[in-house]
Amino acid sequence: MKATPLSNCERRFLLRALQEGKRLDGRQCYDYRNVRVSFGPDYGCCVVELGKTRVLGQVSCELVPPRPNRPTEGILFFNVELSPMAAPGFEPGRQSELLVELNSLIERCLRNSECIDTESLCVVAGEKVWQIRLDLHVLNHDGNMIDAASIAGIVALCHFRRPDVSVQGEEVTVYTPEERDPVPLSIHHMPICVSFAFFQQGTYLLVDPTEREERVMDGFLVIAMNKHREICTIQSSGGIMLVKEQVLRCSKITAVKVTEITEVIQKALENDQKVRKEGGKFGFAESIPNQKITSFKMGSTAVDTNNVEEQAEEIITKAEPPSEVVAKPILHTPGTAQIGEGIENSWGDLEESEREEAVEEESESEVTAFECQKRESEDTSTMKETKEDEPIVLSDSEEEEVVILEPQELPKKTRTQTNSKQENTSKKACNRKRRKKRAAH
Amino acid sequence: MAAISMRLPVARKAVAPSASRGGEKRLVAPGDTITTDTGYMRGHGTYVEEEKLIASVAGAVERVNKLVCVSALKSRYNGEVGDIVVGRITEVQQKRWKVETNSRLDSVLLLSSMNLPGGELRRRSAEDELAMRDYLQEGDLISAEVQSVFSDGAISLHTRSLKYGKLGQGVLVQVSPSFVKRQKTHFHDLPCGASVILGNNGFIWIYPTPEQKDEETGSFTTNLEPVPLSDREVISRLRNCIVALVTQKLMLFDTSILYCYEASLPHQIKDILKPEVMEEIVMETRQRLLDLEA
Repeated sequence: MKATPLSNCERRFLLRALQEGKRLDGRQCYDYRNVRVSFGPDYGCCVVELGKTRVLGQVSCELVPPRPNRPTEGILFFNVELSPMAAPGFEPGRQSELLVELNSLIERCLRNSECIDTESLCVVAGEKVWQIRLDLHVLNHDGNMIDAASIAGIVALCHFRRPDVSVQGEEVTVYTPEERDPVPLSIHHMPICVSFAFFQQGTYLLVDPTEREERVMDGFLVIAMNKHREICTIQSSGGIMLVKEQVLRCSKITAVKVTEITEVIQKALENDQKVRKEGGKFGFAESIPNQKITSFKMGSTAVDTNNVEEQAEEIITKAEPPSEVVAKPILHTPGTAQIGEGIENSWGDLEESEREEAVEEESESEVTAFECQKRESEDTSTMKETKEDEPIVLSDSEEEEVVILEPQELPKKTRTQTNSKQENTSKKACNRKRRKKRAAH
Repeated sequence: MAAISMRLPVARKAVAPSASRGGEKRLVAPGDTITTDTGYMRGHGTYVEEEKLIASVAGAVERVNKLVCVSALKSRYNGEVGDIVVGRITEVQQKRWKVETNSRLDSVLLLSSMNLPGGELRRRSAEDELAMRDYLQEGDLISAEVQSVFSDGAISLHTRSLKYGKLGQGVLVQVSPSFVKRQKTHFHDLPCGASVILGNNGFIWIYPTPEQKDEETGSFTTNLEPVPLSDREVISRLRNCIVALVTQKLMLFDTSILYCYEASLPHQIKDILKPEVMEEIVMETRQRLLDLEA
C-alpha cells in the first residue's frame, strides 16, 4: 500500500517549530527517546523500543562447514526485515532502497567492526564451525530504525548462548542445554549507531529523528561508535554537504549517547541474568507494563526537582488561602435548627449562638492576639485533632427514648461543646492569620 | 517548567453493560467459527475450512438470506455511492486529481466532475487542464461526494455542488471509518459555535462557521482571515471531544459530539485528553444518549 503523504501544513509546521528550537514531542535537539530493552524466554531474543519504534532481534546458531578461504573462522549472517506491520508503505518481499541501506549499515556496524570473535566460533578447523544468524524484524516504524536495529542486534548477540561443544580427537560432542549450560558468544565491544538528521542545508541538527522529522529532513548522518570512543562506521546520505566541525560535533555527541545507551543495555542484561538465576518469571509477558493511570504498575519517570522549593513558595504566595475545612460540617441555614437524627440538639443554641456571635466579634481582636502568642509553639496537628474530636452528643429530646447513664454530665457536655466551638472558631481565625504570616515569608 | 501535576490511580469499577438494544450483533474474532451449516454462501471476511465457516477479520456478523459476511470494525474506507468524503490531493495528473481518502486505493477526482468557478457549464478545454494546479494543488483538503466505484474498488469523486470544494481554515481529525454513523446529512453547524463535516471515510473536518451562508464562488478561494480566539477554543475543544469519543468507542454523529462538548465544559481543554476525564465525559454522553432514546 502507498504510504500516507505528509501534508504541506505539517511540513511547514515542523520546519517552523525547528527554527524555534522546538520538537513535536517536546525533546531538546540532542535528546534521545527512552530506550527500553526486554528479553524473551529464549536466549538471544530481545525487543528494543526506542520511543514507539520497535525492533525484534533473534539470534540462532547452526553447525556448518566453514568458508573455504577462511577455514578457522565462524560465519556471521545478518538479516534485517521490514515487516508490513511497521508501516503501511512496507511491502513484504520488496527490496526497497531503505531496506538495502539498513542491511548494509548493520553489516558494516557488526561485521566489519569485528565486535564478535569469529575465531572462537570454530569447532573443527576446516570442517565444522558455528554459523551465527541474526534476524532483525522492524515491528513499528516511528523514525530512527537504524539505531533501534543496531541496539537490538548487539543486545541479542550479547544475550545469546550457544550450545557447549567438546572435541576429543576426532569426536565432536554437542551438548544439549540440559547436559551442560550453554556458552555466551565472545564479544569484544558493543558498537551502537546514532543517527543525526540535518535540516535547511545543515543549519539545524536533530538527534534521533522521529518518523515525521525524517520525512522533512534534508540529510542524514549515522555514526556507529562503541563506549571506548572508537568509530566503527560512519555514513552520510541525503546529498547535503557537511562541514568538518559539524561531523566532529556529531561524533562528540555520539560518544555521550553511546555511553548512556551502553549503560542501559548492561543494566538490562544484568537484570535478566539475575531473574533467570533466581528462577523468577522472565520473558515478554513480564515486561509489558499497563499504560493506564488506573493500573498500579507503571514505569517511573524522572522529575526535575531543582527549583521545587522556590516554585512551591511562589505558588503558595500567589494562591488564595484555603477555605476552612470542618471535619463533620453541618450547615445551618439562618433561622433553622436541628432536632434528632442522632446529632446534638441545637434548638436551644439558636438564641444562644446569636448572642455569642455578637460577643465574639467584639472580643475576637483582643482574644486572638493573646491566643496566637499562646499557640505559636503548638503543632498544627494537635489543632486538627481537637477539631476532629468534637463529640457527637446524643439528642436529648424528650421524644426519643434515650438511656442516660450519667444524666448530670450531659448538659455539661453541651456547654463545653459550645465553648469549644467558640474556641475553634477563634482557633481557625488564628490559623488563617498564621498561614498568612508564614506565606509572607 | 511549570509546577508538577499529580494524578492518582483509582481501582476501576466494572461498568454495567448498557441497556440492550434490540437485534444484538454477534461479534467474532479471526479464527472464530461462525457456523457449521454448509448451506450458507461465504461473503467478505470469511473463509471455509473443514466444512466450517470461519471469520478472518474481527467484526460483526451480517447475514442477508444465505450470504454470511463479517464487516470488520477497523478497516480501510470502502466507498459507496453517495457518501461524503474529506480527502487530500496527492497528485495532479492529466485531467484528474488523485485524492487520498484512507481507502485501499487513491480516489480519483476527474476534472469534468469539478465545478468551474462562476458555475459555468461548458466542456473542459486544454486551458482548463493547464490551469488545474490553480484550482487544487498537492496537499489541499477537499470535501466531495462519491460518484461511482470502479471495479477494483477505487472511488470516483465529484464536487458538483456549491457545498463541496476546497476546505480552508480548520482542524482535521482522522479516525477509523467505522466510527462515523451514516446519516441524512454530514454537514453540521453545531450550536456551540463551530461547524463540522463528518466524512464517511473517517476524516472529520472542524471549521469556524462561515458568516455568510451564500457562497457563489464554489469555495475555491480560501478565507484566510484570522480566526478569533473564542472560535479557536471551541474548535480545539470539539477536536479533543471527538478524540475522546473515539477512544471510548462511541459512534460519532452530531448529537453525540454536541453532548460530549457540553459534558466537557467544566474541564479545561487540555484535560479532556486524560484517560480518567475521557471516561467520565463519555459516560455522561452515553447516559444522555440513552435517555434520549428512551
